[in-house]
Formats: sequence, structure tokens, C-alpha cells
Amino acid sequence: MRYVTVWCPDWPVVAAGVAAGVPAVVLHANRVVARSPAAAAEGVLQGQRRRDAQRCCPDVLLLDHDPDRDARAFEPVVRAVGRFAPRLEVVEPGWSCLDARGPSRYFGGDQRLAEQLMSAVREHAGRIAVGVGVADGRFASAVAARRAAGGRGPMVVDPGGSAAFLDRLPVAWLQHVGEADAELVGLFARMGLARLGDLAALPAGDVLARFGPAGRHAHRVASADDDRSANAEEPPPERRVEQCFEDPVVQVQPLVFVGKHLADQLVAELAAEGQVCTRLVVTAETEHGERTERAWYRAAGLSAPAMVERVRWQLDGWMAAGEVSAGVVLLRLAPDEVRGDDGDQLRLWGGPSAADERAARAVTRLAGMVGDDGVLVPAWHGGRLPGDRYGWVPASTTDLTDPDDTAQRLRPDLNGPWPGSLPAPSPAVVPPEAQTATLTDATGELVRVSGRGELSAAPARLTIGDRSAQTVIGWAGPWPLDERWWEPPRHRRLARLQVVTADGTAHLVLAEHRHWWVAASYG
Amino acid sequence: MDLAAAVAPTTLARQRTLPVSSPLIPLFPDGALVRGRAVSCQGVAATSLALAIAAEPTTAGAWAAVVDVPWLGVEAAVELGIPLERLVRVDPGPNGSKSEWADLVGAVLDGFEVVVTRVPRHLSATVARRVQARVQAREAVLITVGSSAGTGAAGRGPLPLDLTLETTAAVWEGVEQGWGCLRGRRVTVTSAGRRIPRPRQVEVWLPGPGGGVAAVENVETEPVLRSVG
Repeated sequence: MRYVTVWCPDWPVVAAGVAAGVPAVVLHANRVVARSPAAAAEGVLQGQRRRDAQRCCPDVLLLDHDPDRDARAFEPVVRAVGRFAPRLEVVEPGWSCLDARGPSRYFGGDQRLAEQLMSAVREHAGRIAVGVGVADGRFASAVAARRAAGGRGPMVVDPGGSAAFLDRLPVAWLQHVGEADAELVGLFARMGLARLGDLAALPAGDVLARFGPAGRHAHRVASADDDRSANAEEPPPERRVEQCFEDPVVQVQPLVFVGKHLADQLVAELAAEGQVCTRLVVTAETEHGERTERAWYRAAGLSAPAMVERVRWQLDGWMAAGEVSAGVVLLRLAPDEVRGDDGDQLRLWGGPSAADERAARAVTRLAGMVGDDGVLVPAWHGGRLPGDRYGWVPASTTDLTDPDDTAQRLRPDLNGPWPGSLPAPSPAVVPPEAQTATLTDATGELVRVSGRGELSAAPARLTIGDRSAQTVIGWAGPWPLDERWWEPPRHRRLARLQVVTADGTAHLVLAEHRHWWVAASYG
Repeated sequence: MDLAAAVAPTTLARQRTLPVSSPLIPLFPDGALVRGRAVSCQGVAATSLALAIAAEPTTAGAWAAVVDVPWLGVEAAVELGIPLERLVRVDPGPNGSKSEWADLVGAVLDGFEVVVTRVPRHLSATVARRVQARVQAREAVLITVGSSAGTGAAGRGPLPLDLTLETTAAVWEGVEQGWGCLRGRRVTVTSAGRRIPRPRQVEVWLPGPGGGVAAVENVETEPVLRSVG
């Protein structure tokens, strides 16, 4: 089947209204999801961490990822494209595609259709960058549109020429277009399958045996054989779920809420048969007969939250366009294409959980309230004193949901043992700064530690700061410590004592330069 | 799960719980940390106790935030069983006001299920109620740490606490007059609160040998060897 894809590059940045020439990135979970051309010119990459992007381009403008904003801004483009063919599919904001056959005949060929689409989008949606590609198969047309976005005109691949068109392209395109994940693409590349043609040349059965359903899908896509998903079928009409409203609903929020119920129901029904919906048609009708109908496509299958998101996008855009004169009386979700769910399962281990995502979001928000230096996570530094072993680093410099990053931050085993550190238990109260103290013997004289690590007398009273003196009921040590003698500015020579006072608390007391300090308390 | 529980129309508040490590279970009337409630840790071992309570839920996958407790010892947290990958410390700015503390705790509760914090002195009742309502709405657990110096009364502010855990009679083991090293601390924890008719008491090692929390009878008090001559 022949498809036209309309693709707007870096749509999240365009939707945020960034002026041309301003380097800007849109971030989600501390990673770049889109960047402006100016930022790209500075070397900012998709998927980069925030700090890396800022290192490439220090004055880059940081924007939050907001799919709803992207969808609202994309509405004019969808309307412009919708004039050519009513049954267009929106894959995600910034990317829609439609069946080319009918419109192409009507407008006099693929080239003419693509040119008209391009000028219509530019006319209705302002001067935005847009790429239009026509080819056999969704994937080939998506690739063509992306390649056309850089140039001036549309890109038309001749009928039957999709396989040849894809043949010389790198396998990374599978990842760009979202047909395969980075892991699989990386594996292909490491195995020497550098180009889509290399992958397509393999026997389909071998690819399935080695890479599973994901690999089979990648193989079909690379062979330009992706008219439909492998086992796609049209579901019977009774599969659709709908809700009629006695009282017309005028607000979006309650409708979205109803949409959530419908989506949950639909997904549960399909899941009971081991199926997943890849193409969903959302329909809403008002009392006065105004109607919106749109198809949403997602190769990986639409989950219930994804369906709800699309319902919200569609209704937001419809209501905002001012074509609605009455309340909505009907909301319908109809699966248009379903396929067997061949295991897009969550990973058993490792993937970020909902709690992780929630915490990461809260951390971002907190950093906005108290500054980056106020939101801290522990990091292993290594050392022999309680405050030295773990330090605190700003949470914004790490990716909390990335297990590799976290493991690297907290990896105590790489630095070897720290001979001379005190055994567990460790003090629970480690003030950021050591407090001054005095440790005196029974006669009231200050206790001294000799150069050989011996106490001048048994300690009898401990006074911390300006608090009242406490009687020492037990003490151990001193344990001398001579650190970094090879580096004079950071050289420390001290003795440690564990002191238990009569009130039942224990302290780690340091003697350094003939002064006593309380470094930590076992609170 | 039995059928009665599966078809029960409502979940009672005390059924939405987070786990707590076994030596501390006798202190909690429901045998676990009930979501939406505030627990206060006071006395000599307040910080250790707060960490010990937070350990089990964080091990089970919850995230813990430490708000305005800048003295927290990370190593002790590790030894008590808190996975550091889910621990975040939040410090208010240097001139943070009490309402800022409430805003901060409110924002923290949006993303974290366990929040360890220190209640500012002279907190107004309005702000305290706001925080309490937030804790209930988010179904988190708020653990407040009393004064580490052991005054005990610092936590008795306007914040309505469901459970107060007082640590008293701490005895350190392992240190004598000039020899040995700290091995553990026996401490008596007393729980009192609105839902407990009479105070419950348990004696635990906090920390025990190795740094974790342990029931007193479970730890063998082996003789300490002393070098002579």
C-alpha cells in the first residue's frame, strides 16, 4: 500500500514556539527528546543527557516535554492535511500519514499531491519546516519524509522501488523511525548488518529464530514489506466501545475520563484474546451533529494510557478549533487494526518503575524550588572518616532512573578497601562541619595525643561546643590516621576516639593540631 | 488472597501499609507502617530509628526523601538497609521559612512514599494540618526526627502524630576504658499514640553488630576478647 507521510522535524521544539536561530532542547527524564537546528549545529544530540547538551552549548534553552502542547500545536497541520484525505492517521504530534492512492489519483500523481500537501501545510500552519515523502509502505514513506525535510521539495519513491530505496540506508533508520529499539539496532550493527539491505537479504525464518518477533518486524520493515503488521487483522465491528451521554458534555476533562474507562475496557477485551490495537479510530459527536473522527496509529500497539492521551489530543484540538456549538453526546473508540500481541512485555528487571518516574519528576520540581544544590543524592567518594566516605552530589547531575548511572555513582567496590577505617556500626549523625569540643581528664587538663598515638591521660569529661560537659563512661582508641602525606595541602594527621558519655550517646572524636573535634555522633 | 478480601468493597486505611523490619513490628499497632500517617522518632537514637523504619519500604521499591536533615550519615543508612539508589536529600535554602518547609514537604510527597524530616519549631497549626492532609492524600509515610541531642520534646509540635517512638535507656556495647570498639547499642523503644491504648515497649539492637537493627534476644552476646600482656 502506498503512503504519504507528512513529517515536521523537531516538532516539540517548534510547538514550544522557539524563535529561529535560538538553540533550544526539549527534555524528558533528563534526556534530550528534540532539539532546534541551532542546537543541533552546536553538536547537541537526541537522547543526550542534559549536562552533556549544556556542555556542547552552554546557553541552550531548556524546555520541558509536554505532549499535550505538541498535540495542540499540531492541530492546524492535521487540519491542513485532512483537506486532502479524511482518513489520515496521526502517529504522534509532528508526524501523520495517509493512504496515497485516492488523493494521488485525484490530484494527478504522487509528486503533485506531495507538493500540494507541502504548500497547504505551510499555508495553514505558518512557516515551519516540513517534509513530505511518498513510498510503498509506512516505513519507507516515513524515511522519505525525514530525508525530504532537509531539502526543498517532497521525496517520491517510485511504486515498487521502496526496497531499492531502503537498500543502501543504515540500519539506524529503524531506530529513528521507532520500528526497533536501540538495543536491537546496536546488535544488528555489531553483527555487521550495517545497512537495511543487509538485513533484508537474510532469510526471514533465520531472523525470526535469532531475534524473535522484534527482529521479524525489523526484517519486514527493512524489506519494504510492511503494508500491514505481520499478523494484523481487521477486528469485527462489535469490538468498538462507545458511550452515549444523556446530558451533553461540554468540557474536555469529563470526556477524557470517560475515554479512560472505554480505553481500559477495550484494551482488556483485546488482551483477553491476546491482541493489541495498532490503529484506533476515535469518534466524537455533538448534539448538533458536528463530528470528529481521527485514526491514530502506533506500530508498537496502543496501551490504555496511550489511547487516553490521543483522545485528549483529539478533543482538545477539536474544541479549540471553535467548530463545536453544543455538548458531546457520543464518544466512540473503535479498533481499526489489531494484531497478536507477541510480547512487548515490560522487562522483568531493570526498567524504571512508575515509582522511579514519579520520584524523578518530583526531583526536577524540587530542584526548581530550592535550586540544584538543594536536591542531593549520595555518591561514593571513599575515605576513612564518616563524612568522607559518601558525599552528596546534586541530583540534577545524574539520571536517577538509569541503573548504570546509579551503579556508577554508588559503586564502593572499585576503590578498594580502605584500611584503617572504623568497622560498622557507622555514626548516623554526621554534621556537615565537625564541631569543636574539649576532652579533659579527671583533673580538668586537656587530654593530648602524643606523636606515637598515646593519650596523656584517660578522658573523663567531654564538652561539645557550648553544651554542658558530659561524663565519659567509656572510650576506645586512639586510632591514628595519616592521610595524603604525599600531597601537602590536603595532608591530614589525626587521631580518632570513640567516646561514650553518661547520657548514652557515643561520639567519634578527632584530635587534630592539638584541638578536639566531634566529627560524628552515633545518634 | 481469600475471596472475602478480594471482593471486599472498600480497603480500610490500615490495610494500605508499607512493611517494617521484623524487630520493630511489635511497636506498630497494625504490624506495619500505615500509609497516610505520621510517625515521630525521638530520644537518643532518633536518627537511627528513623532510618531503620525507612529501610524496609525502600528495599521493597519505595523512594525515600530526607528533608532538612543535613546531618544524615549515609553509611549508617546503608548498614541499616536503605538502598542508596532510592535515597534523595532535600535541603531548604539557607533562609528557609516554615511555610517553605511545608511547601517543600508537599512537593516531596508528590514523588516519594517515605519522607524523613525534622519539623521546625513553632510550626503553625494551619501549616501542620496542611502537611498532614497532604500526607494522607498521597498515602505516604512521614517520619519525623526529634532533636538528636535527646531532648525528646522537639517533636511534640502542632503536627498531629499518629505514633510517637521514644528511644531511651541506650547502652553501648563494646567500648570499655580505653579498649574495644563500638559493637552495638541496646535501646528501649516505646511507642505511644492515639491508636494505642497502652504504650508498647521493645528492646532492640539499634544499631546491632554490623550496623543493622536486630531483636535483643536474637543476638548472642559473645565474650569480648581482650589482649593481655
